[in-house]
Amino acid sequence: MYERTVVGRPLEEPELVARAQRGDAAAYEELVRMHQAIAFRTAYLVTASAEDAEEVAADAFLKAFRALGRFRRERPFRPWLLTIVANEARNRRRAGIRRQALALRATTESRPGDAAPSPEAAALDAERRRQLLEALARLPDDQRLVVECRFFLELDEAETAAVLGVRRGTAKSRLSRALAKLREEAPDDA
Amino acid sequence: MRELEHELRALRSSVEFPATPDIASAVASRLSDTSPASPWPRRVALVAAVLAVAAAAGLAIPQARSAILRVFGVGSVRIHYVDRLPAVRPDAPVALGPTISEDDAPFPLLRSDLVGTPDEVHASAGVVTLLYGTPTDVRLLVTQIASPALGPNTVKKIVGTTTNARIVTVDGSPEPALWIEEDPHVLALPNAPERLAANTLVWLRDGITLRLEGATTLEQALRIASSFH
Repeated sequence: MYERTVVGRPLEEPELVARAQRGDAAAYEELVRMHQAIAFRTAYLVTASAEDAEEVAADAFLKAFRALGRFRRERPFRPWLLTIVANEARNRRRAGIRRQALALRATTESRPGDAAPSPEAAALDAERRRQLLEALARLPDDQRLVVECRFFLELDEAETAAVLGVRRGTAKSRLSRALAKLREEAPDDA
Repeated sequence: MRELEHELRALRSSVEFPATPDIASAVASRLSDTSPASPWPRRVALVAAVLAVAAAAGLAIPQARSAILRVFGVGSVRIHYVDRLPAVRPDAPVALGPTISEDDAPFPLLRSDLVGTPDEVHASAGVVTLLYGTPTDVRLLVTQIASPALGPNTVKKIVGTTTNARIVTVDGSPEPALWIEEDPHVLALPNAPERLAANTLVWLRDGITLRLEGATTLEQALRIASSFH
């Protein structure tokens, strides 16, 4: 277990990265725990398979650990990690294993423990949700992915660009095109 | 009129993702077999520092639209470390140039008793490649370049941050060799489209730069490399 300088105070990410770079496996496990959800979901959006996404995320974290000595700590960790996850996911997709189109679904009922829906979410009726998700699934993969990264994973521009493997400007223009296409595919007065 | 962006944000809370598995525990159980990469060895860092100046002076690769982190070389091969690999068609062909007879090579080729006579010999722009297998089913590629004749920038290898590259020693060669493994890197040969390349060993012998692609392990690559003379 990594040491804590102040009892009970969880270590911050830069300190965890520094410790992991020195070979502290417990610190790295903590880093993985912090980022496993976003890594898994990113991999899922690229591979369209939960099983592949789990393997991809685990492999990516191992590769990141091996490459950690070359990571520059003054840079943010998450975009660097997501670049590795997305590369790994794309390689898996290119390998053609269980390739299928991704069609996200929306929940129709609240689940136990769910927070009350936001007023915006409550205003979006089930039919409109279905319409939007179907339109999204019809977009070309690169356009679908940019929308999902920005709105469903809430990645910022730099992180989205890292996942797409393109420059920020390219990610931005791709998002514009994707939204324009979505407006055509799912007009709100339909 | 409803704003599409607002709708997409509203949709986020109801989009179903599969439950996130316990990846941290799975990774932790495999961490004992590995360790974080050390920063580049001192020798590489020194060479990189010298060559970074050369990169700034114009050796940068125009196709690589990403930051070049480090550059160093082995013979006629320049290794460019970048933060993002350039886009390369995953099915880009292995373009080696026309076939020639060994006697027509532009310089005396190094030969190996271990892997024997190649199935084909190709040459393009002074770069000679021994092909074992067929062009569509390559088992082993050994590229040879007469280093002083063609200069230091004949072959570019573009290596991303998730590819492992380390200095190794080939028996019988006094110069450091480079082993690139794991994630594919991008290979740029003269007169050929950039393509992805797998595990590769680059070394120098008798003024010739050799590049071996197709060995699955470092041990196998070193054994083959030391057999070329």
